[in-house]
Amino acid sequence: MSEIQLKPIWRWQWTLMAGIFLLIVCAVAITIGPVQINAIEIIHTLLGRETSLSDQERSLLIEIRFPRVALAALVGAALATSGAVYQTVFRNPLADPYLLGAAAGAGLGATIAITVARADFYPSLPIFAFIGGILAVIATFLVAGRLYSDPGSLLLSGIAIGSFATAVQTFLQQRNSDVLRPVYSWILGELTVADWSSVRWAALYIFIALGILLSVSKILDALMLSDEEAFSLGVSPNRIRIIAVCAATLATATAVSVSGLIGFVGIVVPHIIKRLTKKATNRALLAIALFGAAFLVLADLGARTLISPAEIPIGVITAFIGAPFFLFILRTRSKNQ
Amino acid sequence: MIKVENLSVSYGDKTVLDSISLEIPTGTWTSIIGPNGAGKTTLLTSLLGMNPYSGSIKFGEIEAFRDLKRNIAYVPQRPQVPLGMTVREYVTLGRAKRDGWGRERREGKARVYATLEAMQLIGLQDQQVTRISGGELQRVLIARAIVQEPQIILMDEPTSALDLHHQIATLNQIELLKKEGITVLSTMHDITLGAMYAERIILMREGRVLLDGNASSVIHSEELKSAFDHGISVHTLEDGHTVIVANKMRIEEI
Repeated sequence: MSEIQLKPIWRWQWTLMAGIFLLIVCAVAITIGPVQINAIEIIHTLLGRETSLSDQERSLLIEIRFPRVALAALVGAALATSGAVYQTVFRNPLADPYLLGAAAGAGLGATIAITVARADFYPSLPIFAFIGGILAVIATFLVAGRLYSDPGSLLLSGIAIGSFATAVQTFLQQRNSDVLRPVYSWILGELTVADWSSVRWAALYIFIALGILLSVSKILDALMLSDEEAFSLGVSPNRIRIIAVCAATLATATAVSVSGLIGFVGIVVPHIIKRLTKKATNRALLAIALFGAAFLVLADLGARTLISPAEIPIGVITAFIGAPFFLFILRTRSKNQ
Repeated sequence: MIKVENLSVSYGDKTVLDSISLEIPTGTWTSIIGPNGAGKTTLLTSLLGMNPYSGSIKFGEIEAFRDLKRNIAYVPQRPQVPLGMTVREYVTLGRAKRDGWGRERREGKARVYATLEAMQLIGLQDQQVTRISGGELQRVLIARAIVQEPQIILMDEPTSALDLHHQIATLNQIELLKKEGITVLSTMHDITLGAMYAERIILMREGRVLLDGNASSVIHSEELKSAFDHGISVHTLEDGHTVIVANKMRIEEI
């Protein structure tokens, strides 16, 4: 009797749907662009068959469009998943990589790599960005008063640390005017530099981070309870927090280092999935990763086609969608309270 | 057997528990009473292994401090209510220690259903836990503790939000657990209710144990009245039951 009346807790329909949605979006994004390429030709190219594509079209497809779509998907998955994890860890639906200072810290780390260390983009940039991001998160914790503080003061100190990191970053840019333009366009968020090398390095770090986050996703349930309740259920909440925050920061830092500062993905995507599935974000983490990937591929499609042949920075597109969405959540939340 | 020796807990300069020594036999129900700020909740969370302490808390021969393997259920007075979780999902969290996080075994599922039924929560199982009343949430918390099948159950004011009918129904369920050999420790502001179910009462004030003994001896003691600054009186009814009520103060006394 019990099995008939009690619905299963973990459902995979939404993950499956998000996966199918991602495949469709990727197919559309690869087809559409200044040069339209037939979907059948793309499938033939993927399967290594003979096609009627010219060498130029083939090169455009393999060297530009495929890596760009792949990088957008990776960055989208990283930002959406880390946003969802931060929201669970800090018990705050408005927490995202930007509000905790993680993205700004990663941005500063990457700026130091470009301006001071003159580092090559890959593989050192994600490492610099990760160090910057994790230092910013640690500083956020310390400024909040003690290692584990309440979510409210943690977010406030995250905003302060983020502002400080951004100020240092601006100072460094001004002192290094020779690299001002590339750093500036990178900050606005762009995927135009995507190539297979960036995809490989981003995939390595992001898959490690997402693998860790997905493996602890179920135990993140414990972080939604008080520390006493989590402890009584056999979980050391601080240990799980450290693992989750480090992995989410690695994902954020990698995304920031390959695509610049693309905001709001970590807020918009987890909330859409939460509303659709009516599940806590950690219970739909894979669906969030897949939908985040699709969301950014779509945003990038908009960035490169809306005013074609010119491009809009992708960060501007996500901000256009994300800022009103953020205000909507803020308003709904204060109404509920 | 839980053995507490010279347990002291401080937060900064403030001593919250001061050299407490206790022995709690397995399969008994102990109620901890005392005025606000007596250290009742801190004593419970210390037994959970959460607070850094000096002295010793031993379960058998093992020191309690951060022993995550021991199966102790905790019913908090002020729980952190998660967003996006149904009543049934919230209760199922209690199975995590036995079945694993995110896993639903057949036995666990049956246990969850039986407990929802026993706690009169059938019908609420698919509701979001953020949308239920305070009294319903309290029963849900106790249900989560029951499905945990713990060795020890610690409850911080488990009936404070319940109506009279649900207070008795809930405490009866906990009494059944005690009969199965589970050790129960609860803090209760309702001393009458505490004395009705617990065979033993610990009276605390300002971080110290004032009196520790069987329920009848503690509720008829002078220490009880003095712990509450003589603001309570104890009455024995014709049927032999004892009730403890707060004295109404005269206006000039306020």
